[in-house]
Amino acid sequence: MKRVALLLIFVAGLLKLSAQEPIRPVSSAYMIEAGSSQLADTYLSPMKYGGWSAALAYERMQAMRFDPENWVMQLAIRGEVDRALNNLGNVATWRANISARWAMMHRWRQLAPGLTLAVGGATGIEGGCFYNTRNGNNPASAKAAWTIDATAFAAYNFRLGKLPLTLRYQAVLPVIGVFFSPQYDELYYEIYLGNHSGLAHCAWFGSRFAMTNLLTVDMHFGATSLRMGYRNEILSSKVANIVTRATTHAFVLGIAHEWLSLSRRTAPSTDARIISALY
Amino acid sequence: MKLFNIIVALLALTLSACHSVEEYADNPRGNFEALWTTLDEHYCFFGEKGVDWDDVYLRYSPKINDKMTDEELFEVCATMLEELRDGHTNLSSSFDVSYYRRWWSDYPQNYDARLIEEHYFNFNYRQSGGFMYGILPENIGYINYSSFSSAIGEGNLDQVLYYLSTCDGLVFDVRDNGGGNLDNVGKIIARFITEPMLAGYIQHKTGPAHDAFSEPYPFYYEPAQQGRIMWGKPTAVLVNRSTFSAANNFVSIIRHLPNVSIVGSTTGGGGGMPFTSELPNGWGIRFSSAPILDPMGNQTEFGCEPSEGCSVDLDPVAALEGRDTMLDFAVALLLK
Repeated sequence: MKRVALLLIFVAGLLKLSAQEPIRPVSSAYMIEAGSSQLADTYLSPMKYGGWSAALAYERMQAMRFDPENWVMQLAIRGEVDRALNNLGNVATWRANISARWAMMHRWRQLAPGLTLAVGGATGIEGGCFYNTRNGNNPASAKAAWTIDATAFAAYNFRLGKLPLTLRYQAVLPVIGVFFSPQYDELYYEIYLGNHSGLAHCAWFGSRFAMTNLLTVDMHFGATSLRMGYRNEILSSKVANIVTRATTHAFVLGIAHEWLSLSRRTAPSTDARIISALY
Repeated sequence: MKLFNIIVALLALTLSACHSVEEYADNPRGNFEALWTTLDEHYCFFGEKGVDWDDVYLRYSPKINDKMTDEELFEVCATMLEELRDGHTNLSSSFDVSYYRRWWSDYPQNYDARLIEEHYFNFNYRQSGGFMYGILPENIGYINYSSFSSAIGEGNLDQVLYYLSTCDGLVFDVRDNGGGNLDNVGKIIARFITEPMLAGYIQHKTGPAHDAFSEPYPFYYEPAQQGRIMWGKPTAVLVNRSTFSAANNFVSIIRHLPNVSIVGSTTGGGGGMPFTSELPNGWGIRFSSAPILDPMGNQTEFGCEPSEGCSVDLDPVAALEGRDTMLDFAVALLLK
């Protein structure tokens, strides 16, 4: 009987704690992007190519459970397709790339009224390839990387008339990692035959520089927000005398909203605080 | 202000970290320089062929001027590429493709497909995948494979080899086979071996220097899966000067098998896997870049010689009488 009483007290304590936990809505956004691309990969061609870029992106942010006021996490998944032509327009290079990145950032809220600044680290993986439509034995150049990144954002909540807006700039800068590249003039056929040596390379600013710049404004019309913005992706690598460059500038259009995951067994307290990751 | 400084610092870092791609002007001089430099940094047989590429530059560069037409520029560039004496090296424009033809045009052709189709099979032969095949009156099987680009399935090989299984020997004719897919080389060799075989070595350039090469990497062929039809009887592989590239590679490997003789004339070579690149004016370039060595570690760029005592040409007089003297030689060899 004594044990049952102790168990009840423990459960009640847990429930109380749970009721006091702030609510951490998930800020998620789905984005489509369209713009221009500049591509070069000297494994395929010494020429620079120019063309269009299109991408789909998903972003998910949430305040972190252990310290929701000061820490947020972010998951970003993005798939991109570029098509660019050479100087004469008689050869195309396609580029496809998929990336996923998880970040954890410390934030400082209300540095000024409405202004939040966050700085942290991230880890990301990405893979894809360049494909040149003319080439024979060297038609494609595969890309893959795993990196540890620095990331930061500044968000400013304000009103334009009666319309609440959130202006955000975020940058992601891979600092170190590992990436794939064949050796100079090494055919993928040789890799296929089993020669896998020298394919993994240390990624640092000197060998592989990449950067994401994202500027968005979320217009809060109601429960759902319209997101518009600009994204700039930069990739520049040089390893084994192979230079790869890809720069895209894209207009961003998206839908953003916040949602809650509720449990029927532990309904949130009506006086629980709501701590948003972004707004 | 702090945010602004961070952004400026990041952008500065961005600009300084970019890796440069050398650019050439789209004019005769720029295109010539791009062509010469691409070959200088990527072509793999300068040493084997004794080509002094710097000297080539000195001789051809004065021929370039900004008033020359595309046709004139193409002529100069194509002639410069001929210095490499390489059947895998081409310059492609919208109006012409340069091609070094003397690697085969200076030699007798030694092959007439109709001669065999008409006088040996009376046009009554079978075809499967890329194979033309049949049984010669001497009970010798005959397979003609005209291109390694023609797909060959395991089922095709089973059917063909089963059909020929009662024959006393096999003539495998790869004359005029200009190459194609190296996977088909392994697929066919797999029917002739019963245990893994060292098939050769592959190399690649490790940098722009003419002598910057990786260590040769050995690669092996496995026998066909259990249950497949294999071939172990005496085989004669018929070759001519136009047996090139992947076909040349096929010969360089199969010649090391017991019971296999190479009959005909020295093959055309083409032992470097070609890369593709381009010039500022959109012309394409193809050139040998990754050498493939035979199982003994020797270059195959200059072709494979026939087996000892098996060097034979097609007699044009006999051909007029409906005889392929190279095929006759191979059949007689197999019947010994």
